[in-house]
Order: sequence, then structure tokens, then C-alpha cells
Amino acid sequence: MSQNKLLIDIGSTNFKVATPTNIEQHFRDFNKDIHDDLMYKCGDTINSFDKDDVYICSSANGGLSTLIIGLTESYSLKYAKNIAFNSGINIIETILYQNIEDYSLPSDLIDVVIVVGGINSKGGIFGKPLYNYLENLKYSNIVYVGSELEAEELAKNIEHLVVLPNIIDNKLHIIEENLKEYLTNLYQADIEGKEDIKSLYDITTNQIYSTPYIVNKTLPLIDANFSVVDPFILIDIGGATTDIHYSKDLVDENIVTENEYDRLVFKKLGVYKSKESLIFAAQNNEFTYELLTHLKVTENIFEESSEKALKVLMQLALFLVLTKMSHYKQAYVNLKLLAINSIVLTGGITKVLNDDEVADIISFFYKKILNSDHNPTVVMDKNYKIWTLANKG
Amino acid sequence: MSLLQEEREIILSNEHVDNFDFAEVEEFVKNANKELFISHHFAQKKKMLVQPRGGFPTYKKQFALNEFFVNANVDVLPLTIDSNTRLNDYATAKKMLRLSEESEVDMLNGYPLVNHGYRTTRKMVTHFNKPVSLRHGTPDARLLIETAIASGIFEIEGGPITYLLPYSKNFPLDKAFLYWKYVEKVCANYSKLNLPINRESFGPLTATLVPPAITIVIQLLEMLLSLEEGVKSFSVSFSQTGSMNQDIVMGHVIRKMAKKYAESINCGDATINLVYHQWMGAFPTNKDFAEQLINMSTVIASMVGADKIITKTREEASGIPTKEANAKTVANTQYTLGILNGLPNIVDEEEEEILTLEVEAIMEAVFNDPADTLWRKVFNSIKNGTIDVPFSPHIINHNEMITIRDANKNIRIIKRGNVPIPDRCFEYEKSKCDLTKDTTSIVNDIIHDIGIMQ
Repeated sequence: MSQNKLLIDIGSTNFKVATPTNIEQHFRDFNKDIHDDLMYKCGDTINSFDKDDVYICSSANGGLSTLIIGLTESYSLKYAKNIAFNSGINIIETILYQNIEDYSLPSDLIDVVIVVGGINSKGGIFGKPLYNYLENLKYSNIVYVGSELEAEELAKNIEHLVVLPNIIDNKLHIIEENLKEYLTNLYQADIEGKEDIKSLYDITTNQIYSTPYIVNKTLPLIDANFSVVDPFILIDIGGATTDIHYSKDLVDENIVTENEYDRLVFKKLGVYKSKESLIFAAQNNEFTYELLTHLKVTENIFEESSEKALKVLMQLALFLVLTKMSHYKQAYVNLKLLAINSIVLTGGITKVLNDDEVADIISFFYKKILNSDHNPTVVMDKNYKIWTLANKG
Repeated sequence: MSLLQEEREIILSNEHVDNFDFAEVEEFVKNANKELFISHHFAQKKKMLVQPRGGFPTYKKQFALNEFFVNANVDVLPLTIDSNTRLNDYATAKKMLRLSEESEVDMLNGYPLVNHGYRTTRKMVTHFNKPVSLRHGTPDARLLIETAIASGIFEIEGGPITYLLPYSKNFPLDKAFLYWKYVEKVCANYSKLNLPINRESFGPLTATLVPPAITIVIQLLEMLLSLEEGVKSFSVSFSQTGSMNQDIVMGHVIRKMAKKYAESINCGDATINLVYHQWMGAFPTNKDFAEQLINMSTVIASMVGADKIITKTREEASGIPTKEANAKTVANTQYTLGILNGLPNIVDEEEEEILTLEVEAIMEAVFNDPADTLWRKVFNSIKNGTIDVPFSPHIINHNEMITIRDANKNIRIIKRGNVPIPDRCFEYEKSKCDLTKDTTSIVNDIIHDIGIMQ
């Protein structure tokens, strides 16, 4: 980290403050506004820095939710999902346009709907079924990034439609910049719109970014501070979400993008704010009870709120996220987990579990799900150093 | 412990590697017989070295293949690796190896070196005491190369571009550069213990209408990337193009340029060898014709002055060649080389000048990329189409360049895409072709030209 910078990360349960010499972390007081809580606990440190030298990132709001409507799984939906994940957006539903009438409507308000499909020479793609679906859907923003021949007709029929260049070029390559910029700006606007975050502009003159965006930027720099051997995955298990950042040679269906790494977020696999959904996911996994036996606890642990229970929840979160990345459960991508040389852990998990407890879960996962003795090295970012790397220089 | 050593330990702790002993391997390389080093044979050069292709899954069959080769007077033994290992899928390779051993049916298309392990393979390599060349096609070859060197294999084929663009659709190119950087470092480090470990680039690329300028540029760049990591023995290569004249011109230009660019990075002390591949395109189904084609390749290799020739077999069009066919082609190639004496020195100055200008222009564009490292400059150049490999399946390749054969079977560029072919050269290339035809006819010509030796 370069001299004279103060780095602050606002999480859903903790915040971390890093000076050039020290990183401190505090559990958030939910009875207070973030700004007041932060100033109460770290006021002296913050006041000793110039506002130009304070850099803040936040994942406190958990990100925007998106619904994607696309023409094909292998191109439009895949490309839009990739861009959305890397812009810090959470995907709650993807819809194959041909079957749009079979999908049920999500009851939650969708922050942004992405419509995509076709190359620029292809027309006559979308029509009435799309308009009917959108009419009943609750959403705040809608963006079109498909064939340019469709744009005019769609704009006529969909109110407030933002039209951006197609994300698929004529050679079926991904063009990510425009949609990525749009989604990132929307995310920024959302963060800034939150009263809590808005007030943080009192202490910085710099833009506040989303934490996953910052972490993704740090990945190529990670080996400067840690003994990490490519290919690796980074898992950030926190209070509300679990993020996984992975080296792209771990997937078969790669897309050329600016980044060497991709990101996935599991919005409902946190151990604090999304504890209930984590337990729900665990109860629906046929290996969970074997894992609980292995950890020498019973399912009564889900009812407890003790240090032991928190440990078990962290272990479950780690196991479930690895499972979701494996061929056992089909997710957005399946990673070649047997080719991994290192697993890096950051976030709350590093404060709750020790190295042996983490290694134990990883070896359980490899043995039970992949039938393998593969044993990647585990690197623990115990002092939240990773998110500070992006500010190097 | 150095960062490289830490990385090596993690890579070698893979569950499919049986207790890798660094100290023992170092001791072995230090005392290894000089006959195992191809760099030794290049240095003592008495004739063009002959190397076939070949690899079988089981130890028994690979051993038998090598015996056949040695009896056929082979100079360099091959070890072709199976495609599961190439994709780092050692678990499947292990399963298939077991099935091959049990059923006598080959369930793999090559030798699963990582699963056999270096202790077993070394017994075979040291038994024959001939240099072995590792042929694979792996973007992440870190574990494979460690195992190969520990086995006594001191020639490693491949590179981040030549083993990716023709073979892979999705593997990230930037990763391939970094993984091959590791390979170069390991080869360079081991080279300090005894004779140099030779690195060889894979010149044929897609073997489909690749213009000489593109082949040469990629050969030069892989050579520079290797030399800058400390490798002291490197082989540039190319395959028969279908035009004898173009092959001879290419041989002159690649030698001249390799020396010049190696010196430009203060690596003039490295030995640069030239390797020629017999025809790599579609083979005639008529086996007699196939033999004529192979024989013609051998003549051209002599005219080019290659240091090594890599052979093909008369069975190429009908499936995986038998060990007998492989041995026969080695013996025939040796015979042809033995009777080829006093070949005329042919020079085509105009073609040489055009090709040199093209290569220099592309190299300059690569060097002018603003990135801070050579590999990143090369990566950017492929990404932005400054380097474009015709018919590459990889998603990063531009595929904007279009090539066709002229009346004399030379490969000519008729659409340059983003490749900075100088105007004068481009006009020259186009002037050799009949472009007055309609598009359908030109497309049909290209399809025909791909299978020219059929």
C-alpha cells in the first residue's frame, strides 16, 4: 500500500480501516448510522488524513438485483451473466426468451432488467411475449444490449428503455465495456443513494466503489503478499454474501474479457444477515448431515447463537460454495476444482476459523464430492490485506 | 526459499505426483549422460537429426516403440503425451492407463507421463540413452515439464502461442504466457547443472495456409520469451508449406532473423537450431503417394539446411500409425538424407526481401506496444490482431487475415486484417494471385488449397 492513504471497507457486519501501518476492524453497531459509528470508533485515525487520501469501498447494501432475458444460453445469457457478475450485480433470474411464457414472475422489485439477443444483422427477435412479461414485472431500470435491428421497435414499446451497443459482435465475441459501465454506474448510484453511504462523502473526496469490484482488481497483485500459485480461487465469506473470484483457466467455457479473473456472488450464503437462507441451503444438501457428524455437532446447532455455532455456519458456507462450483451442483459455471493449486480465503471466515478447521472442510469436500485426495494449499488473508492491494501505487 | 521454489513445491504436491525429491532430481540432471541432451548432438552435428512422432499409454508399449525406433536408426526419440494429461486431467489419464494395462487396448492417445511418474520413465530413458523430445500441446505444462526433466527428457517442445492458438478454444492466453514463463525458468535453471536443456517452438501452428511471415514472427517471439528467461539452446521450426521455393526462402529468413533478434536482447551466446516438419496438412490416402510426399519433405529439409527433421508416416491418412510404420519412415528418411549430397544453393532475392520486410514490420509493431513486458506486448498484439493466425480456433484470435495459394503454390496474403503488412509487400502478395474471380470461386480455391497434397 502506498504512503498516506486511508482505506475503508464497509461490510454488512464489519468495517475495516487500513492505514499504511495498521488494519483495524470493528463490528458494526446497527443502532447507529455508518458514518457516526465509524467516526465514533476510528474518528482520530480518519481525522488525521486528508479527505483526498481517504478511499472507501462498500458491500453494505449487498448489490443490485438483476433479471436477464436472453435468446440463447451459450451466447446472450452467458455473456450478460458474465458482465453482470463482474460489475458487482447479483443475478436473481435468467430467462430464455423462447420459453418466457413458462417463467413465473419474481415477486421482489428488480433493480435492473437486461434484455439481450442476436447479432446486429439479425432482426425480428423479440415481440409480444416480452412486452407481456415486462408489463407484469416490477423493475426500476431496463437496458437493451442485443441486435441493433431490434432497438427501435423495443424502444417504442418499452418505457424508459436504455439502449446500448450489442454485447455480441458479428464473430460472437463479447463486447463488455458499455454494459459494464452502465451497471457499474447504476451500482454507484445505488450506493450513493443509500443515506448511510452518502454521508461517508463527508470524509472522502474520492468515489466510493463496490467491494467486489475492488477485490477483483487486486487478484493479479495477490502474489506480491501471499504464496499463491495459479490457478487459484478466492472465497470471500462475509455476513451477507459469499463471493468467489476465480482464475479463468478453471473454466471450459471461457470468454475473452479484460480481466484474468471472473467473479460469482452467492447472495444468500452469508452467516449473519442471510443466515436463514444459508441453513436452508445446507438442509437441502445431502452431505450436510455427514459433515455435521464429522464436525461432531447435531443440527440443533442451527438454533444456537454461540461461537461454536458461528464456526459451523462458516464451515457450511465454505462447503456449500465449493459444492456449488463443482459438477455436483450445476451453477453458472463449474470450476475445474481438481486443477486448483491454492484456495485463498478472505472476509469474516478468516476471523472465525483457524487454518486446520479450514483445511479440514476443504479435504472433506474433495473427498466426499470429488472422490479425490487433492489438497490445494490454503492461504488465509487474516488481516484483510487483499482489499487494500488495489490501491497499490 | 525463492518464490519460484515455493511455486514448484505447491505444483509438485499434486496428488498424482509420487513424492518428488528435488535434491535427487538435481543430482540426476547434474550427472546425466551427455547423450541424453539434444543440445550435445546439435553441437556435435555430423548430420541432420531424424525424429519420428509417437506415444503409447503403457510403459510396455512405449518401451517396445522405442526399441523399434532404435533399430531403425533414430537420432531422437519422441514421447507424445496423451490428451487428458495435456488438459491437466491426471485423474482420467490414470483411469485410462489402468484400463489400457488391463485390456491391451489403448485407451489413451499418448504416454501419460505424470501418472507413470519420473522414477519409472527415467528407467526407460536411461536404458536407451538417446535424447528424448517431449511432444504435448499443453498450455499449463508446469507439472508435466518438471516430471519430464526429472525423467531425463532434456528437450521440451511448445510455447504459449504455438501450443495454444492451434489447439485450444478457451484457455486464457495471458495465463499461458505466465505458465510457460515458469517452464522457461525451470529449463534455464536445470541447464546450469549440465548441458543446456533445449526448448523447441512448434512452427506448424494450424498447418493450414499459415503465411511464412506469421510463422516466423511467432517463432521469433517464443524464442525471445525463452531466451529472456535464461534458456541457452532453442529451436525455431516450421513445416512444409507446399511450395519448395517458399520453404527455402523461409529457412533463410528465419535463421537470419533469429540470430539478429537474439543478439538484440544480448542473448547472442544462445544456440539457435532449425527444425523442419514433414508435411503437416491432410495426407493422401494412397500410401505410395504419402511416401513420395514424405520423401519430398526430406529433400526440402536438406535444401533448407535443417538441424533436425520430424517425420510423418505413410499411414497418416488412415489412423494412428503403427510402430512398424513409424520405424519404416525413420529408416527411409535416413536413407534419403544419406544420398542427398551437393544440393544447389537456391536464392530468391525478391521473395526474401518481401518476407524480411513483412516480419520486421510485424515485429516492430509488437515492440511498439506500450506494455511493460515482452509477454504482455505479444499478448496485446494477438488480442488486437497485429498477429493473426489463419484458421485458429481460439476465441482471442482475430481470424481477419485471409490467405490463398498462387499458381506456384506459394501461400499469399489477400486480406491482411490488422496485421501491419507493409503496402508494398501486400501489393506484391496480391499481384501473385488471380483476384478477379468472384467471391465463391475464391472461397472454393481456399478450400482446395487447404488440402493441396491430397
